[in-house]
Amino acid sequence: MKKILVQGFILVVLFFSTWFGLSKADWIKILRIEKVSSQTEEKLGEALWTFFKQDAEENRDLFIKQTIDSIVSKICTANGINRSKLKIHILNKGDINAFALPDGHLVLLTGLMANCESPEALAGVIAHEIAHIESGHIMKKLVKELGLSMMISIATGSGSPEVVINAAKLLSSSAFDRKMEREADINGAEYLLKANIDARPFADFMYQLAEPGKISKLMSWISTHPESAERAEYIIHYLSERTVEADEVIAPQTWNRLQERLEK
Amino acid sequence: MIEKKMFPYKPDEHEAEKASNSYLMSLIVLIVGVPLPIVNLIATVIFYIGNRKSTYFVRWHCIQALLTQLSLLIVNTAAFWWTISIIFRGKAVTNAYVAYIISVLLLNLIEFIGTMYSAIHTRKGTHVQWWFYGGITQLICKPRS
Repeated sequence: MKKILVQGFILVVLFFSTWFGLSKADWIKILRIEKVSSQTEEKLGEALWTFFKQDAEENRDLFIKQTIDSIVSKICTANGINRSKLKIHILNKGDINAFALPDGHLVLLTGLMANCESPEALAGVIAHEIAHIESGHIMKKLVKELGLSMMISIATGSGSPEVVINAAKLLSSSAFDRKMEREADINGAEYLLKANIDARPFADFMYQLAEPGKISKLMSWISTHPESAERAEYIIHYLSERTVEADEVIAPQTWNRLQERLEK
Repeated sequence: MIEKKMFPYKPDEHEAEKASNSYLMSLIVLIVGVPLPIVNLIATVIFYIGNRKSTYFVRWHCIQALLTQLSLLIVNTAAFWWTISIIFRGKAVTNAYVAYIISVLLLNLIEFIGTMYSAIHTRKGTHVQWWFYGGITQLICKPRS
């Protein structure tokens, strides 16, 4: 009996030591897994952005682009985020929505920008979407909902148009899971704090979404960001534990001018 | 790892064929092409149940085949669910994962070669005993009085 136990123990040790020994090799590098996955993400992002571009006209107003860019740069610089990784797109569409796509694409609809009551609220939405990108939520959500094979088929161009439409709908009109949304809220609030941007208007914006009268007007954001009142509360709670040193995100004249140009 | 040993009696042609089939049953997963780790174990269990009242030689080899499948089931199941979590739940591919898959493939390959070897030799009526698994089988399976 003792001999058998020793033999069994040797077998287990052999297996685990093989595993341990093999795990010392950098397989990710040897098999070029990261390169392959980043190429897949790049192609996927490009395919989905092409889809959205066909759906609505891209806003090419230089002033609007520069204003948004200054908000994005402020958040990125203060938080050590590589600005060049982000690809900001503004689409002329009345829907109140913003969403992130694979490979750092961040899409803002003019409807959302026009309905934000302050630059801080807009910065909050942007910070929230950047947090989704930085936490890798986009690919996780796509893999979870569509499966890896579907994503590869989109990236390689072999997928049917329906697959692309499904992926686009998933990212633009359905929520991340509660844990991911909470993580993006808290990280987004943290980004704002580090950039000396007051995050409270963003929480107010969330309360605004939760008001029953606003439901039809703010349908897109409601559907993609459920439990807004609860989320506003934990953002406020998170901020209450921190010292807020807020600067102006952009000058009030710039904000007013932005709103005027959006109305055109 | 696998030793040829003397069996208390010389099995006849019919026994040798059944005993050999018990090893082939464990390779069923390759035949049906279903990548579920449980399939080959189920096939081996069914074969064992069908032959549990058979002769000592047949029962002995059915149990040895079953035991080898049990340990494979554990490592293969872990590999299966780890892969599922990567494909469907967005878990990251890590060095530990790749190393585990290689280890599991190596183990499966060794097991496959061992199973084929056992199937060929038992078919000829030779008694083959695996390291560790043979010892446990010897403890479990006793000749009927």
